[in-house]
Formats: sequence, structure tokens, C-alpha cells
Amino acid sequence: MPVSPKPLLAALLVSSALTAPALAQAPAETTPDPLPAATGTTTPEATPAVDADTDDAAGAPEDEIAAPTAAEPDPGTQPQQSARAPQPQPAVGTDWPFWGGDANAQRYSPLDQITPQNVGRLEKAWTFHTGDLPTGSAAGKYSPEVTPLKIGDNLVMCTAMNNLISVNAATGEKNWEFDAEVSNDAIPYGATCRGVSTYTAPDLPDDAPCKVRIIEGTLDARLIAVDEATGALCQDFGENGQVDLWQGIGEKVPGWYSVTAPPAIVRGIAVTGAQVKDGQAEDAPSGVIRGYDAVTGELVWAWDMGAPEANRNGPPEGETYTRGTPNMWTTATADEELGLVYLPMGNSSVDYWASNRADYEHDWSTSLVAIDVTTGEPAWSFQTVHRDVWDYDLGSQVTLIDYPNGDGSTTPAIILPSKQGDIYILDRATGEALTPVGEIAVPSRGDLEPEALSATQPVSEWHTLRKPDLEEKDMWGFSPIDQLWCRIQFARARYEGFYTPPTTETRWIQYPGYNGGSDWGSIAYDPERGLIIANYNDIPNYNRLIPRDEPLAPPIYEQTDGGDAGGKAEGAGDPQVGAPYGISVNAGWRNFTGIPCTSPPYGGIRAIDINTGETVWDTPIGTARRNGPWGIKSYLPFKIGTPNNGGSVITKSGLIFIGAATDNLFRAIDTATGETLWSDVLNGGGQANPITYEVDGEQYVLIAPGGHHFMETEVTDEVVAYKLPRD
Amino acid sequence: MVAPSTSPHARPRTHWATTLIAIVVALLGLPLLGLGAWLIVLGGSWYYALAGLGLVIVAALLARRSMAAIWLYLLVWLATLGWAYWEVGLDYWAQVPRVVAPTILLVILLLFTPLLSGRKTEGAR
Repeated sequence: MPVSPKPLLAALLVSSALTAPALAQAPAETTPDPLPAATGTTTPEATPAVDADTDDAAGAPEDEIAAPTAAEPDPGTQPQQSARAPQPQPAVGTDWPFWGGDANAQRYSPLDQITPQNVGRLEKAWTFHTGDLPTGSAAGKYSPEVTPLKIGDNLVMCTAMNNLISVNAATGEKNWEFDAEVSNDAIPYGATCRGVSTYTAPDLPDDAPCKVRIIEGTLDARLIAVDEATGALCQDFGENGQVDLWQGIGEKVPGWYSVTAPPAIVRGIAVTGAQVKDGQAEDAPSGVIRGYDAVTGELVWAWDMGAPEANRNGPPEGETYTRGTPNMWTTATADEELGLVYLPMGNSSVDYWASNRADYEHDWSTSLVAIDVTTGEPAWSFQTVHRDVWDYDLGSQVTLIDYPNGDGSTTPAIILPSKQGDIYILDRATGEALTPVGEIAVPSRGDLEPEALSATQPVSEWHTLRKPDLEEKDMWGFSPIDQLWCRIQFARARYEGFYTPPTTETRWIQYPGYNGGSDWGSIAYDPERGLIIANYNDIPNYNRLIPRDEPLAPPIYEQTDGGDAGGKAEGAGDPQVGAPYGISVNAGWRNFTGIPCTSPPYGGIRAIDINTGETVWDTPIGTARRNGPWGIKSYLPFKIGTPNNGGSVITKSGLIFIGAATDNLFRAIDTATGETLWSDVLNGGGQANPITYEVDGEQYVLIAPGGHHFMETEVTDEVVAYKLPRD
Repeated sequence: MVAPSTSPHARPRTHWATTLIAIVVALLGLPLLGLGAWLIVLGGSWYYALAGLGLVIVAALLARRSMAAIWLYLLVWLATLGWAYWEVGLDYWAQVPRVVAPTILLVILLLFTPLLSGRKTEGAR
């Protein structure tokens, strides 16, 4: 099942043989690159690039993309002639300029003031309250997941409902706030804004408003740009600083089409997808990916997999982008040098039924897709699930590294984690796997739509976070009685192991469940120690396709109160209109006491050697202090390994900072051993990626413990910064 | 007034506390037996039905205030430990559902031994 896009720039493409037959890729445009290969370490991509005065085309992007081939440089020409030249990227260290830390999304900081030796003395520096807490129908739907950026003296962040706030990074005092005025009915599954992006417009004078701007996507599907210094809307961007992403999507149904991730800004183009609320209908908003000029807000290109040529500049008046196609709800990674953006694509809008999908959906679903931002055309793709009927969306942002080839040289590469736990390493330019990829036979294709499902699935033979298949003895409980009940459920369900096909006669067990493996928190990478740090979930789902004659929730467009469907677990009775069945998901497969049917640990954190792919250490993450039957907090300080959401930060000094687990602890882990050296109790759930930065010679570590409705942790509006006490 | 139970000769054949614990043990044993039998039919472990059967007999012996209840439960408990070790070894968390509740029940039953009588000494105290 090759997923290769047809080579679009034949002159620039070189065909390549593939080791894994089902994982076809087309090699990328090999744009000549004046930049030295990025070191990918502590000062990535800080190399000054060509002058920005070739950026005139940025003011007229429509013209450029109207004739993309004409705008393409011939092989061998200098990139100065291309429409958009690479710009130097800010480095991580004193600042935390990108959601993923540096431009490579490594979540690695060169700061080293806080060390394994002194971390035990870490204490709160300040707590900031954003003021954004659920009101009215938003109750029970908050999952802010926010990670601020630190730029200069300030932190900039969004809140769950997309208000933008700038805070003094040393004191936690507010500089300014922009009220996005998002209404509660725009909340899709949860009120989430994982972060914002910043862009410095190279052509604007240094003192111009919005020279440095903050760009966010909102739950009600707007791109908003404000001045980093003042919070004032950028008048040069879109209409009054805003772009309406509902354009070309179709009927506006609040909460069905929402942006929760920061845009990736590549060569002056802000690239965004959107979360299309899962499981509603096959006729759903498009998964189109769009690139907007980061200065003017004009559409530069759209990648609509169903009509890539016809809709490149947007659909004709009265029409929409192709409906129901796989979307990207998570964070893309920009590759400024290659001019690519790496899109971790999700699945089609109806996750658990494959027969009605078009070929292009089969081809692109649950794939990492590299788009050439200068043309809007795909350069290559790498598929991690064929014919996904398990909601195994790619949820993690990919990380760019220099992969050691083993002979002392390195290859610019991508770490691609998946919800199934597989970790792939791909060549950035071509999408070819640099580590072994296998293709396993699935246990069966089931009885419902065997022809629509794939007989084989890809796996990483280099490293997987996935554990062995479940057995009856893996059933758990607090007593023999609930354990017995889970054994009966296990015996009655259809379960043939990894990739058991969906069923309707009985429940089926999906393991790993849709929370991963690796989810939106993504992995962190320590380039000096050569370690991947991956936290992961290890918990099944207990699912059933529901025939239409049984009760199902109405689709979102028929709900009078659009808010009703939010908050609960995704897939818990979703209608999947257009498919023969709805879907019921018991996320985490919890029994009548509310605890999972399977044995802990439910989550862990692992260090993986980049050179060998072998596990250096692996330990459960999360204590039992907040967990117990019927939601009773046990206060047991024992490490049990809880479900977790949110990634980690690595510091040069050998520490990993991470919240993520449902025990509301924020902890520092020794990179060398996996031992927890320090922890602090947060007032809410730490389901957000932390950051670290420096002000006036002092290193801070920060997390926004906003909590998470699905993870059942307390919601707060807090942002908490820690530092060492002054001696 | 002297309570009848303080006199060994006036001791009733039952006592409210042993009746209560017999009911509790029966309420634990019957679902284990019933659902455990279902699990056997489904092709799963035989442990639960056998343990449930053991508990039901223990309950009946408790109702008769027989010391044999304790000995039988000890047997069930030891068998449980052996089975649990066979299934999951020394995995701490995996042992929780298997041994914690049965051990708590063991402690409670041992507290009842003064109210029970061995066969040979029945009626002699």
C-alpha cells in the first residue's frame, strides 16, 4: 500500500528504493542549502541566513503559488532566488523561543545552574494566575495543556480559551493581556491551547509594531497575531490582526473545527491544521493544512489531499475543502533550512470505519507528511498505520536531530514517535527510514470490513515503547472480585493481540489504547548524551462498534447545546454518521470501581540510546497518591505508574523535568539513572510541557498545572516558576 | 442481669457476630463461585470458582461456629498465595488484588477464633 505522492517536482526528485515495501516515500526536493548542517545541539540553526531583501514575494504570495513551478529555483541555483529564504532561528537557553524549546523541538536546554546535586533545594519563585477558569457550560471541559514561550524578559502564553498573556519572566507580573473572546460553545473536546508561536518579520523596521509578533490558533478557528511588546492586534495581519480559518471549511458548527496547537512558522509561513472533533460524521470539516503569510495573514497555500491542485489557493466560491479528510490536530515541526514542514497527520474524521474512505485518505492517514512550504506540495510521507481503525493519530510533535550514522558522520533526521509506541528515525530530506522498519501481519482483518483493512502494519524494529500483548493474568483490581470481573470481560472480548480488528458483536480490546504510547507531549532529546527521553502510556481501550439501532449521541451539528458532547472521553458513544456503526470507547478500560482492568504501571518514562536503540533505563512515572477505587485518593506515596499527558524538558546538567502523571507532582529525574531527585505537589494536574529559562543569571523551571478533564486532575489557572534560593 | 452468653452452659448455638461474619464470607464467596464458574466456562482461570467454593464452605462452618472454618480458610489462603506467586511472581502491584483482601479476611477470621469451637471441645467451654 504505497503512500507516495506522485513526484511533483520531477526535476528535483530522485527515486529511491525502499526497505519497507509499504512505506513508500518520495524523496524531497534537494534545495541547495548554503547553511552548514545544523548541529542540532545547543545552538541549532542559529546560522545567519541569506539577506531577507529577497522577500518581496512575501508581499504577493498568491502570485507565487499561482504558478508554483515558475517560482521554483532550478537545481543548482542559489536559494536567494527562491521566494522565501531561510531565516536565522532563535536559540534555546536563556530563552525558550519555540513550543518544543528550540527550532528542532528537542526540549533540551543548555542551562546547567540547577543540577542533580542542588535540585533538592529548588523552590517556588512565583505563581501567576491567568484568570481563565471554566464558567457555565465549560465546566468539566478544561484541559489547557499550555506551555509558554520565553522571549527576552517575558513569557508569552495562551490560556485554555485563547486569551494571550505576557508575563515578566522573573517576577510573574503581568505585562499585558489580550482577550480572545472565545465562547464556550467553541470548546471541541477540551478547552486546550498548547501554545503560541512567535515570528520576527525580517522586512519590518525594528521599531515597527508587530516586528516581533505572537501568533496563535484558536478554538473558534481563528489565527490571531498580536504585538509581542504590547499585545495589540497586528493591523497588517489578516483583518484587524485575525484570519478566519472557517473560510472554505463549510457550515460553521462551533466546536467541530478548532485549533489547539501552535502554528509552525517556516520561511515566514504560518502552517496550521486543526482538531476536527472525532467520530461525528464522515461529512466533517476538512483536514486541510494551510499556510498563511506570517506578516500579512494571506493564504499562501492549502494542502487539501482530496483536491491538491484545485484547492491550492482555496476552494472556489461556495465550495469547501474536501470534507472528512485526515487532519492534524497536534504540533507540526518547521525545518527552516530545507523549507519543509513535518505534519503528524491524524486519521479521517470517522476513526473506526474504513470502508467509506477515499484512496487519498488511505494514502495520507496517520502519516508523517513533509510539505515543501515554498510550493505547498508534499515532498514525502511516511505512514505509521495502514487503514487506521484504532484512532492511532500521530499525536507527537516530531523532533529534528543529527542522527549518528555510526561512522562518525550524522544525517539530518527526524524522530517520529507514535501512539503504538514505535519510534522511527527518518531522513529529513527523503523521509526514508534510517532505522529498521518491519511490516507485521495483523492477527486478522475481522468480519465486518475485512477487505477495507490492511493485512500488514508497520512496526519499528529499532525501538518500541509497546509492551507484550495482554493475557488474562494481566487483569487487575483491588480485590479478587473486581479482578474476576475484568477476567470475564477479557475472556468475552475479542482480543487477538496488537491490531485486533473492531467488532460489534462483543467488545474488542485495543492495546495500546489511543492515548499512546507517545501522545502530544512528545519526546525530548539530549544531543550531548545521545538519549531520547520518552514518557508513555501503557493502557488499553475497551471498544465496541455500536449498531444504529442502539443509542448513540447525536452528531455535533444536531446538538442544540453544542457543549453537551465536550468533556467526556473521545469515542464514548460517538455517532460516526455515514458509517454503519457508531463507536463506544471505554478509555483505559476501567471497571466498576473506576480503575483500569489491567495491571499497573499505566505509564512510564524511558531513556533510549540513540546509537543503539536500546533502553538505558525505564521506570514507572506517577505515584498512587491521588488514585484509588471510586476516585478515592489513596495518598499512597508509592510509584505505581499512572496515565500521563505532557512531555519533559532535559537540561544540560543532567536533569529531566516533567509533570504529566495524574499524581499532580512536578518532578526532577536524574537523566543518568531515572531516579526522581525532587518533586513538588502542584495544585492542579501537570498535563502540560514544562520549560526552563534564565533571567539575570538565574535558571527557572516552569510548568502550568492547568489540569485535564479527561485525566481527571484538578483544573487551575496557575503558572508556577521554580528556581534555586539565593544563597 | 447476667447475660446468657457469659455462661458456657447457657451459650446459644449461634452468636450474632459469627452469624454476621458467616454472611459476609458467604457474600464474598457466592459471587466468586458464580462468576468464577462463568470464567471457567469462558475458558479462564479455575482459581476463583474454587476459592469461592472454599469461602462458601467456610461460611457454612462459621454459621455452625466450627473451628474447621479457620483451618479451611487457612488452606484457601495458602493456596491463594501459591496460585498468586505462580501467576505473577513477586510483582508487587500485581499481587495487590490477589493477596491483600484475602489476607485482611484472614486477620478478621483469626479474631473470631475465641467464638469458635473445635469439634473435640465443642460445648466444653
